[in-house]
Amino acid sequence: MSTNITPAERLRDAGLYAPGDAVLSVRDLNVRFNSENGVVHAVRGVDFDLMPGKTLGIVGESGSGKSVTSMAIMGLLPETADITGSVRFKGKELLGLSDKAMCKHRGNDIAMVFQDPLSSLTPVYTVGTQIIEALTVHNPTMSKQAKEARAVDLLRMVGIPSPKDRLKAFPHEFSGGMRQRVMIAIAIANDPRVLIADEPTTALDVTIQAQVLEVLHTAQEETGAAVVMITHDLGVVAGMADDIMVMYAGKPVETGTVEDIYYNPRMPYTLGLLGAVPRVDTATKQSLVPIEGTPPNLALPVTGCSFAARCPLVSDACLHGEPELFPVPGVAVPGVEGQALGHKAACIKANELSNDADAHRIFHAPPKPVSKFDGVARVERDKVLELKDVRKHFPLLKGALIKRRIGTVKAVDGLSFDIREGECVSIVGESGCGKTTTLLEIMEFHPDQVGEVIIGGVSNKVATDHKTKMAMRKEMQMVFQDPTGALDPRFTVYEVLAEPLENLGMPKAAIKKRIMELMKLVGLQPDHVNRFPNQFSGGQRQRIGIARALAVNPKLVVLDEPVSALDVSVQAGVINLLDKLRAELGLSYLMVAHDLSVVRHISDRVAVMYLGKIVETGDVDDVFDNPRHPYTRALLSAIPVPDPNLERTRERIILQGDLPSPLDAPKGCNFATRCPVFAALPAAKQEKCLTLEPPLASEKEGAQDFACFFPDGELDADMLVVHA
Amino acid sequence: MLKYLMKRSGIYLIMIFLTTSAGYFLAVSSLKPAVLEQEKIPRPTPEQVAASFRGLGLDPDLNPWERYIQWLGGIVTRWDWGRSPNGAFVNAEFADRVLVSTRLFIASIILTLVIGVALGVYSAARQYKFQDRVITSYSYLVHILPAPIAYFLVQLGAIGINEAVGERIFFVTGISTPGIDPGWPAFVDMVAHYAVPTFAMTIFGWAGYQIAQRQYLLDNVNADFVRTARAKGLTRNQAIRKHALRVSFIPVAQSIAFTIPAIFTGGFFAEAIFAWPGIGLWSIQAISLQDVNVATATLAYGSVIFAIGAILADFATTLVDPRVRVQ
Repeated sequence: MSTNITPAERLRDAGLYAPGDAVLSVRDLNVRFNSENGVVHAVRGVDFDLMPGKTLGIVGESGSGKSVTSMAIMGLLPETADITGSVRFKGKELLGLSDKAMCKHRGNDIAMVFQDPLSSLTPVYTVGTQIIEALTVHNPTMSKQAKEARAVDLLRMVGIPSPKDRLKAFPHEFSGGMRQRVMIAIAIANDPRVLIADEPTTALDVTIQAQVLEVLHTAQEETGAAVVMITHDLGVVAGMADDIMVMYAGKPVETGTVEDIYYNPRMPYTLGLLGAVPRVDTATKQSLVPIEGTPPNLALPVTGCSFAARCPLVSDACLHGEPELFPVPGVAVPGVEGQALGHKAACIKANELSNDADAHRIFHAPPKPVSKFDGVARVERDKVLELKDVRKHFPLLKGALIKRRIGTVKAVDGLSFDIREGECVSIVGESGCGKTTTLLEIMEFHPDQVGEVIIGGVSNKVATDHKTKMAMRKEMQMVFQDPTGALDPRFTVYEVLAEPLENLGMPKAAIKKRIMELMKLVGLQPDHVNRFPNQFSGGQRQRIGIARALAVNPKLVVLDEPVSALDVSVQAGVINLLDKLRAELGLSYLMVAHDLSVVRHISDRVAVMYLGKIVETGDVDDVFDNPRHPYTRALLSAIPVPDPNLERTRERIILQGDLPSPLDAPKGCNFATRCPVFAALPAAKQEKCLTLEPPLASEKEGAQDFACFFPDGELDADMLVVHA
Repeated sequence: MLKYLMKRSGIYLIMIFLTTSAGYFLAVSSLKPAVLEQEKIPRPTPEQVAASFRGLGLDPDLNPWERYIQWLGGIVTRWDWGRSPNGAFVNAEFADRVLVSTRLFIASIILTLVIGVALGVYSAARQYKFQDRVITSYSYLVHILPAPIAYFLVQLGAIGINEAVGERIFFVTGISTPGIDPGWPAFVDMVAHYAVPTFAMTIFGWAGYQIAQRQYLLDNVNADFVRTARAKGLTRNQAIRKHALRVSFIPVAQSIAFTIPAIFTGGFFAEAIFAWPGIGLWSIQAISLQDVNVATATLAYGSVIFAIGAILADFATTLVDPRVRVQ
């Protein structure tokens, strides 16, 4: 590797050696933004070639420059952005084209699907108008009938039922998953050669994510387009991508085929990232790999390896000069047919990381903590929380002056479960299934509630006075999803942590001592107590949130999506902390999470909710390894696993449609409308599902409870997908 | 839609009745026309004043509730809004006053709206460029300038033009020249009277719309759906025109409908300075003349205009925003 090559020469060389048949060639792409803090160098030299029909996955955490890269390719960055390098579509340079000239390519040759389907469609135009617009722009001569027919075809292709009528619907009449399908229909309207999908499923539920990924797959097959899939989720790309580019601090740090990256990572960051993701398919008895620290500030010049500050293998050589991407020895060199990227890593120690590098050892992952309750049988432990037939029904009213009740939304419908000392119980399910309402009902703790909530032996039916309620609050604390929103920006960390203690009437000196303890407990520096929340990173803020919850020494901590707002590498640290605290302090957790991998990693027991009811509950390993209810089976099969071979061959259950409105909850089994087992049953047996409500019961002693008449029934073939 | 509008109108009718009734009670208990009668020469006796007021339906000896019943009865049975202390019929003057106000404001309302929204769009599309800075700075300047001073400046300008030409082109006050021939001369005379107030109110009136439209459009220029439109192959300007504009117009449409009543009933300065005796001036005069019935009538008019504005706002919103379309 020589260092005395000018960028111009690099570009020329790159152009010469770029594979001639690549649809998209990006060379030395650099993007700089002017900000209040100086010039931010958001993308620092991205190179890749995209072959026709292939899929490139760009993986990175927030701020790694992956979205900016895609926007630069599309020419959608603001005019103030300084973009240099080269982006070629079939050999034609795109950078530097005027907005008007670029419009010939956008939506025609290169199309894009964005992250948030809820805001990506114009609210005031019908879906049909918006699809037809994409056709009109590039085919001005196409007749109105032809365009309409094409729009119907497109909607059918992305799996929208009765497409002809839906053309006239407005975006707000569609669910999030449906809107993302429409976005895909718009993107593939003109048969683009390149389709860029920027976190297309991040905002969606897992079951809907599986549907949308399936639609993307179909779209790619139909159009033969090359796909750039941008994501932070290593599972999502494992099954789809041919090649992977891992980005860190605006720069690709490792590129290669999907097998290279997942099975033979040579950059410590990639290694750490893979180890930081909990797996849904294995019962882990290991901590996750934490990557300490935060990415560098890109407003400052990068002098050494950008990952050096967080790398456990760092040495002096890493701090002098940023390493270029260079081929990993022993594997194919770039330019060999069929390989767009070749395995390259930007690490001077790539050679030292052998095939069997152990991320846990390298990143010093802590040992799995052991709780004093682990040896005690579950039935012998005390109950810290018990719910008995809790219900929350919301009346649905209509009318301006005189309200009429036209229906009932059964948000929570007869929930019973308990949490014992030292265990973590998780509630999982799609959005709208009643998870959050359940938490709110527990926090409400009011005698007028339907059903009984018992916290630390105190029932809500008897807790009428303020004192009992205060005692209850001391037993149970909560950690919220968004660490930034949950902390008052005008409070220092000291004030945040002192508030609950002052509320209990603790003397000042004791408060101070306790706060120092808490800071150490959650892994923050005690001398940072006078800082404000905005001076901390997201992961640190969540640690403050956890410290606040622990301030009053509760027995039970309610965790509402505690890590979903955090990046993968940071998430691992917080999960490890929660694990450690549970063992050391003997805490119990009630967690709500949509990420089933996290749930599997941290929980002892799990309850799967569907339309306000628990459909399956039991030990996490029983439920995850041997799910009985068809909904649990579908939910688990929807989760992508960061293992390409497994991901390509495994059978997936793709549920049809969205979670039905709780209003139209069927009379018999709630799940019958979407059930893959129900669909395959003969009509005589279907009758039972439609008329009788299956009870929540276990088949044999010690196994999980589930609510299904035909637990091992055959699955409907239409809902099964295997990508071979 | 019609059913919805009928329902809304019904609700607003009740609200108009309540505000007008409350206004009447306030007026009848605070305005005392008898005090002014005492300043006449020769000074009338209190009995004479009471007798003359009794004849006009303004009996000072009745309590407010009795007066209210009497006044409401007149309106309900004969559509008679009562009389002024000087004997004039409210009904007779009302129509003239409304007509004068409407004629004075209608052109400038339309012009401010069109120009304000257009300039808002123009300046938003050129954010922080020279044109945007000029237009938006002008709007903020106008916001600071009190209306009477602004109108006087325009009048001075018009007089300056008249003097420079040496001929009276513009009239700075008044509605029309008495005794003008009908037909073409009358039309020229009308335009000459109309030009100065309309010009003044327009150039000092669009600031609000310009700032609001610019702001709402800028909020939407970087919206995700505009990015989607650009990703389809629309140029930035096409995407803004087609997608951002309509969405940004939703809040502006709301505000338009609510500013119109304010202009109609609050155009006191314009009516006074340009000597167009309209409804705004009348309402102020009514208070200084202790005229209960006129004060209440102008208040009722204001409520009606406000209700119309609110219904227009609903209508405009349902027109541009499908999310609030009613079944």
